[in-house]
Amino acid sequence: MDKNDKLAVSYRRRQTLITVLPFLALAGLFGALCAIVTAKGYRLDMYLKIVFNEGVVLAIVATGAVFIYTLGSFDISLGASTLFSATLGVLTYNATESLPLMLLVIFAVAVGCSLFSSVLASVFHIPVFVTTVAMMSVLSAVAAQLITTYGGALGGISIPSEVVKPLDKPLFKIIVLVVFSALCIFVFNYTKIGRRQKFLGGNPVCAQLTGISLNKYAIIAFVMAGLGVGIGAFLTLVYTPSVTTTTAGSIGMNIIVAIVFGGMPISGGARSRIYAALVGGFSYILLNNILMLLVDSNAGYGISQIISAVFFLVVVFVTGINYRTQILPR
Amino acid sequence: MAKPILEMKGMCKRFGSTVALDKVDLTVYPGEIRGLIGENGSGKSTISSIAAGMQKADSGEMVFKGQRWNPASMVEALEQGFGMIVQEQGTVPGISIAENIFLGGISQFAHGPFIDRKKLMAAARQVLDRVGMDSVDPALPMGLLDMQDRKLVEIAKVIARAPDIFVVDETTTALSQIGREKIYELMREQKAADKSVLFISHDLDELLATCDTLTVLRDGKLGRSFTKDEFDPDLIRTSMIGRELQGDYYRSDTQATCRKEIALRAEHLTAGQAVQDVSLAVHKGEIVGVGGLSQCGMHDLGKILFGAIKPDAGSVTTGSGAAITSEAVAMKQGIGYVAKDRDVESLCLSASIQDNIAVAGMERYAVHDFLILGGRERKYVDQQIGELSIKCAGRDQQVSQLSGGNKQKVVFDKWIGRGSDVLILDCPTRGVDIGVKQAMYQLMVRLKGEGKSIVMISEEMPELIGMCDRLVVMKDGRVTKEFTRGPEMTDTEIIKYMI
Amino acid sequence: MKKSLSKLFALVLAVAMVASLGAMAYADDTVKIGVLVSDVSGEEALGFRAYYEDYIAANYDVTFTYTDQLEDAAAEKSAIEKFAAQGYDAILSLSSSDRVTQIETAIENELYYAVVSGMLEDEQFEQFKTSEYFVGQIGPSMDTEYEAGVAMGEYYAGQGVKNVAIYGAFIPNPMHVYRAAGLLAGLGCTYGGAAEKDAIVGQIFGDQGVDPSKIEGDIQVVAYLQGFGDTTFDELNGAISQGPDAFLSVGMATTFFADALNGAQIPYGDIDSFTSGNAANMSDGTLTYIAGKYSSSVGPIFAATLDAVNGNPIRDAEGNAISISQSYLVATDSETFDTIFNGDKGDSPIFSKDVLDAVIGEGIAYDDLVALVESN
Repeated sequence: MDKNDKLAVSYRRRQTLITVLPFLALAGLFGALCAIVTAKGYRLDMYLKIVFNEGVVLAIVATGAVFIYTLGSFDISLGASTLFSATLGVLTYNATESLPLMLLVIFAVAVGCSLFSSVLASVFHIPVFVTTVAMMSVLSAVAAQLITTYGGALGGISIPSEVVKPLDKPLFKIIVLVVFSALCIFVFNYTKIGRRQKFLGGNPVCAQLTGISLNKYAIIAFVMAGLGVGIGAFLTLVYTPSVTTTTAGSIGMNIIVAIVFGGMPISGGARSRIYAALVGGFSYILLNNILMLLVDSNAGYGISQIISAVFFLVVVFVTGINYRTQILPR
Repeated sequence: MAKPILEMKGMCKRFGSTVALDKVDLTVYPGEIRGLIGENGSGKSTISSIAAGMQKADSGEMVFKGQRWNPASMVEALEQGFGMIVQEQGTVPGISIAENIFLGGISQFAHGPFIDRKKLMAAARQVLDRVGMDSVDPALPMGLLDMQDRKLVEIAKVIARAPDIFVVDETTTALSQIGREKIYELMREQKAADKSVLFISHDLDELLATCDTLTVLRDGKLGRSFTKDEFDPDLIRTSMIGRELQGDYYRSDTQATCRKEIALRAEHLTAGQAVQDVSLAVHKGEIVGVGGLSQCGMHDLGKILFGAIKPDAGSVTTGSGAAITSEAVAMKQGIGYVAKDRDVESLCLSASIQDNIAVAGMERYAVHDFLILGGRERKYVDQQIGELSIKCAGRDQQVSQLSGGNKQKVVFDKWIGRGSDVLILDCPTRGVDIGVKQAMYQLMVRLKGEGKSIVMISEEMPELIGMCDRLVVMKDGRVTKEFTRGPEMTDTEIIKYMI
Repeated sequence: MKKSLSKLFALVLAVAMVASLGAMAYADDTVKIGVLVSDVSGEEALGFRAYYEDYIAANYDVTFTYTDQLEDAAAEKSAIEKFAAQGYDAILSLSSSDRVTQIETAIENELYYAVVSGMLEDEQFEQFKTSEYFVGQIGPSMDTEYEAGVAMGEYYAGQGVKNVAIYGAFIPNPMHVYRAAGLLAGLGCTYGGAAEKDAIVGQIFGDQGVDPSKIEGDIQVVAYLQGFGDTTFDELNGAISQGPDAFLSVGMATTFFADALNGAQIPYGDIDSFTSGNAANMSDGTLTYIAGKYSSSVGPIFAATLDAVNGNPIRDAEGNAISISQSYLVATDSETFDTIFNGDKGDSPIFSKDVLDAVIGEGIAYDDLVALVESN
């Protein structure tokens, strides 16, 4: 083997390492959580269920959002649209007592909000994230208005818990997660859509000159994200059958964290990975829980958030180093 | 002999799996214009960028003006008298031209917390005049300038600091003849002031005309150095590629040939001021050249033919009569487009070779024109990589890691692989070394033979003359003359219609 | 990079091991109570926390673990599940995104549950009152909230004010709606022609706020504002410029506006809590009326929860969970304020160990607890 071959092999090894790193991190965090929970004498089965419940909505919404992030854009309104579609879903159920209709409304609203953002952006030729910032304000304001109007004395609106309670089982959620992830993986990795979206994210000018229409693929991306939001909104209701003005409030930001933890650059492009959201979402939730278990809550509020923020910066830095050393000046 | 101004010894540098420099020594003396030549990836840009503080060497020693030299950044190097005009874009689009020129040194115009804009603009004015941009307002935002003017501002930025040595890295490829003359003049001024220049270029003719000495680099290693009296183009070429060029460089035939059928037709195209009433017909098996000064409108014409710019008037149709209204339609009709600005318009640098080649050819390997299967995709890409012998670590390698010539091969593969019948090539050999250039020319001849049509837009007259069946010359957006391949298609004749 | 990552994991694991050793030191018979909180920084919330953690935990064999700030219903539910996984005995809730889900989750996980601040809606209480794990609630009922509003209105009417500005806080938060309705009634005003509690409350819910044009009475409401946002201070300045005789708030004004109102020399009243900030507002500023909770007012619900955990549940005559209305204490001068405030400090809270011990243990009657709550 000559020197160049050796270098090529080491290059490949490093590429492989970069690919498996997020999985290693997930496995490591999972192991750490199990070790800590067991060592503390807590119930591991319950903890795993909790972590799964906390992570599943984030993972699903973020997986849908990968399509948008791949384009090098981002949607800050996803948390607000989750809230908005859940709100309209609850109001629909309370008006009709029909679960299928509620589901239909949730998905229609989620996809509709998403589409509206992207179409608005393409009509007015403004960056999509700008419209999503506006959408975030509008959707949360309207949702808050509806919740306070209809929730009145209760401060929130809800459907009777028995309606969706039977679905609040890990198996159901795992099935939903697997089916949606499989759909996203298929679209992203095995169709022209995903390839073209990655290319658009990497270099929109070049993509345009390769016959790829930004508007068309942005719309597809937003529809996929909308589906994720719809499922997320439904699973939120399955977990807690009520909606308050703060429901899903942290999802928008957590998506960014999840995607970064999953090893995908926020700038999207060629290194976008559909599993990033899944792996990163659960890694983030695991990390949070580990920190909460380790850091005495009486030590002061926000300590664990600060640590996870530092962790976030470290991940960005490490992935950044890797990216920088890969670039040859010419 | 005078003491050297710059001495580099045993310089080594690696990028991932690529060895860019392997123990290279280089010495430059005051009053010397030193040329550096080599194929893409030979290490000439790497060594000069290390000296200019743009990046660090893995090992090696440098001495500049008698002192150990290890600049932390380009700004620091420039402050110490080592300037570099970079190959890729080095200007900031959001701020004014004047601010770009004095970037990093703006404090010299400061009065307390405020900047004396008048003084800044006056100083910028002076420098702009020196690089021949006398009609440009230094207060304009940088983003308004085109590629050539941006390059000139970059030159101004370096000249403004009166450096002891400056590096001109492939700068001339972005410039028109007038711009090139200006830069040659600046180099001569530098020499006259007993200062030095490191001149990197692919254009052997301009190196021979300008340089005092010429050093060849090959595969990251130091090759032979030539003094002015030893200059011999053939010897230098052989030294560059390590072998003699096999076969013809340009086309060997001297007659225009093509088939009868028309492949692409443009009628009365007008787009703003750039293109005015241009009509053009390209036949199957024909190479049609479009030449002129950089601003003549030929680059816009290329984009219009590909549907990327919508003309105000006129139409582009295929031989079968289908109208080209967008890039997607053009591709559907078998048209491919290689853009001038390769890194921005033709490639996704952060993506792999595979992604770049595969993205345009999905119709060739997608099942039911929708489903992408890894095996089929990889086979398609490998075939294309083999077709043009791209030098790479594998199809997964990031395109940004490739040399200019290999990048261009990826672009060609992208379009040829999908079986384009008409190729619009805008400056297809820009920043590409001789070896790859020859391969490109041979490929064009082969494609012509297969009945494909080529529109070759170029600022290099020799290749237009060497390759085209017909040459359309443009000036100020209009076609001023059409030549047919033959003895009368000479540069002196052509230039008359360009200027 | 691989090295650094494995180092990181090693670090995480090492920290985990050390932490778990510490955790093992816990004795098993200590009663472990998880506290759900949505407000982690308010003076009132901090007062409750100090009372539980510093006083109660020192006097009883019990530990309190506070959650981080709970943003939504899902966070509340998962916090309860985590307490269950960690073997906690009871949940005290100061968070109210979704009470129903909280109680359901606590019951499912066999954790005793009590509402510490606010009261459930009647139908919600009905739903859970028979569950053995639902301890119940002690706090101001909606009627109490209404009465607190009435009392403040009557006080200022008695002072002879002619025009007032009103801050509706976070209407349609029910607590604030009831207080606002009471305030209007106390001032002797009608709202949309109505003078009865239910009618006024209904209209305010419907309007999602108080519409000054619907208020009629001898005392004029010259300005009304609610919520808190970018324009709130502009609205406040607008209200101040009307020169009201008093600024009457149904909550939070001492937190948001104390400085502005003190500065403008406008007398103001609020339904808030007995805190050091309010002591200063009353002695040095223009705060002239405060109705509020005090830190140890959360003592009786703790006692009831401890009883339940220890197998001595206090239930009403029908065997249902407790529901006791706790009224506010009122101060209109510094002296009274200080008496209440200083009487409820550090080592000598109003609900001290001596007082609470009367309702902790076997065979405590429901009426004993009611008497205890109403006595203070």
